[in-house]
Amino acid sequence: MAEYERSPPYGRPGRGLVVMKIIKHSTQAFPTTVTGSIVGMDVGGTLEVTNSFPFPVVEMPPESHFDTAAPNPAAAAPRAKANAVYQAEMIRMLREVNIDANNVGWYTSANMGNFVNMNVIENQFFYQKEMNERAVALVHDPEPEAFRLSPKFMAAFRENKFTADELQKSNLRYQDIFVELPVTIHNSHLITSFIHQLETPKQSRPADLPPSLAALESGAPAKSTVLTPNFDNLLLSIDPFMEKNCDLLLDSIETHHTETNNFQYYQRSLAREQTKINNWQQKRKAENATRATLKQPLLPEDEWQRLFKLPQEPSRLESMLNSRQVEQYSRQIDNFVASTTGKMFAVKGNLLPGETAK
Amino acid sequence: MAETDSFLHLARPLGPVAMASAPSTAPLNVVIQPQAVFSILDHSLRRNADQERVIGTLLGTRSEDGTEVEIRSTFAVGHTETTDQVEVDMEYQKQMLALHLRANPKEVLVGWYATSSELNTFSALIQNFYSGQGDGTWPHPAVHLTVSTEPGKDIETRAYISAPVGVTAERAADSAAFIPVPYEIRYGEAEKSGLETIASAKDAENGSTNIFTDIEALERAIEEVLGMIDRVSRYVESVIDEEAPASTALGQFLLNTLALAPKVDPADIERDFNNHIQDVLVVSYLANTIRTQMDLSNRLATAQLTLGGGESTGENQRGGQRGGKGGRGGHQRTQGGAEEVRA
Repeated sequence: MAEYERSPPYGRPGRGLVVMKIIKHSTQAFPTTVTGSIVGMDVGGTLEVTNSFPFPVVEMPPESHFDTAAPNPAAAAPRAKANAVYQAEMIRMLREVNIDANNVGWYTSANMGNFVNMNVIENQFFYQKEMNERAVALVHDPEPEAFRLSPKFMAAFRENKFTADELQKSNLRYQDIFVELPVTIHNSHLITSFIHQLETPKQSRPADLPPSLAALESGAPAKSTVLTPNFDNLLLSIDPFMEKNCDLLLDSIETHHTETNNFQYYQRSLAREQTKINNWQQKRKAENATRATLKQPLLPEDEWQRLFKLPQEPSRLESMLNSRQVEQYSRQIDNFVASTTGKMFAVKGNLLPGETAK
Repeated sequence: MAETDSFLHLARPLGPVAMASAPSTAPLNVVIQPQAVFSILDHSLRRNADQERVIGTLLGTRSEDGTEVEIRSTFAVGHTETTDQVEVDMEYQKQMLALHLRANPKEVLVGWYATSSELNTFSALIQNFYSGQGDGTWPHPAVHLTVSTEPGKDIETRAYISAPVGVTAERAADSAAFIPVPYEIRYGEAEKSGLETIASAKDAENGSTNIFTDIEALERAIEEVLGMIDRVSRYVESVIDEEAPASTALGQFLLNTLALAPKVDPADIERDFNNHIQDVLVVSYLANTIRTQMDLSNRLATAQLTLGGGESTGENQRGGQRGGKGGRGGHQRTQGGAEEVRA
């Protein structure tokens, strides 16, 4: 574990190819979650992801020790046994054609940051434990983000230490679940040159002036699908995004509420049992006192351990994940708000030019 | 990239082989998804030093009537070429195809690619293998895609289908008439934004980029718009100065565009603006409040046992409840916020 902590969060150049392959995979199945494997190599501490391939979706029995079985089999695919075989096979095939194929982790698609869940954690845990402790999870949402589970969290998860007591000791907080890794995208020169060509299509001669308005509107440039410029992020569409985020936050609150209730229920039943035990102990003491005066043999005083069963403390893991999820949501809302307010003031300033002079 | 070649669809001549089911002769359009080209280019970089070109399999979907083929994925297939012999690793191709189809059940074999523009006898041999019966694309034509990867030149892509030629069966086996077909590189919205991210690395010296944040992307878009406005106004100025030829159509178009600026009452703008900005800020505020509340409530819940003793348990239960209530309060308010946003 110690050596783990020494390794700093390295940069990882994700290849343009990988980004495109993951996009293709996730848009085909949208909005269902998709998962796949990423391969590449570890070059001097930088994890280079050079290729990826999707996992076949297999139905799997709920074998996890947390009873939150995946309703979507694809989400659990990375840790399915059949896929470990598939992955090994695929990597062997890729090596034959000179691809630097070592397993370096897995990817998943996500929508609006909703990726902090048990499936992702279990998958990543499986990869860091079974495959390679430097394995990363690449979350495509729709920008790529990469992370690992922190050593602290790994240790806690391995032994399922998520009671209040254990968390007190380990001082594990929701901020400590993931180690986020910076992602850089690196393109080969051929791909760079291809993108340049996509952006600026070859023009053999300067375009003629259009003869009429209709010709201009129906002409080639108006219809062409060149890559840039892309002005989608100038759109002032606020409501759908906000609405979706509010819904997601509501779901999180719901989860939080359930967890809090569970915990309170536990505390109440614990207190009840505790009272019962205290009563029993007092009664036994009194009895023993009487017996002592009567010179009778004393009754054992620790029998309560057999008679009463203390309730099991619920795991705090779900609450932790939920907190991390809410943090993710509020981060993306903040990002959105930052650019939206800017746009809105710009629009206002343009429509009401007098106002800006004030 | 998008060469403006024009195409004449010819029904591909069919070979002398008599068939029970007539193979398709319908005109064919090829659609290529960008990640397929990316894979091909990547493969080209990984070829052995002595190899002129590398080949691989194209996979994708075919429209119901067979007139459109969409190339979605590719995988590399090993092969060796000498002056008089070509060897393609058929076993590998079969295994890889099976593996690929397990993860992509909707895709089918549509053809093959090579990383040079040259078409030769070996191309014909391989083409006949891919378009053959059994393991090939029969009765549909196999698409052959050539992507030239010569350094210093533009990447040139061409798509072909083939027709058998040759007077005898032996001659027909290693000959093919390649017929060029039109193709188009098509990307959806998600791919477009992905390409943009990747493209931002294109001007960097080492070809690397970091991911842009929203606000940086916005800045870039605004800069681009400003640049375009500059270009248009330069053009208009030079027309006024009679340096550039005038065009009525362009003038009309610009006028129409300018007329798109909305004419709204300032009071309306003010009202809409205030409503929206309030929504936006309230949601942001709430999200952060909810986060803090939850954190607080969870901290209080896990903090209790350190204090020890029955008294503190009670106290912390209250704390937990307070957190819970806070959560509920946030709940209702967010609903309010959501409704406001919907309104």
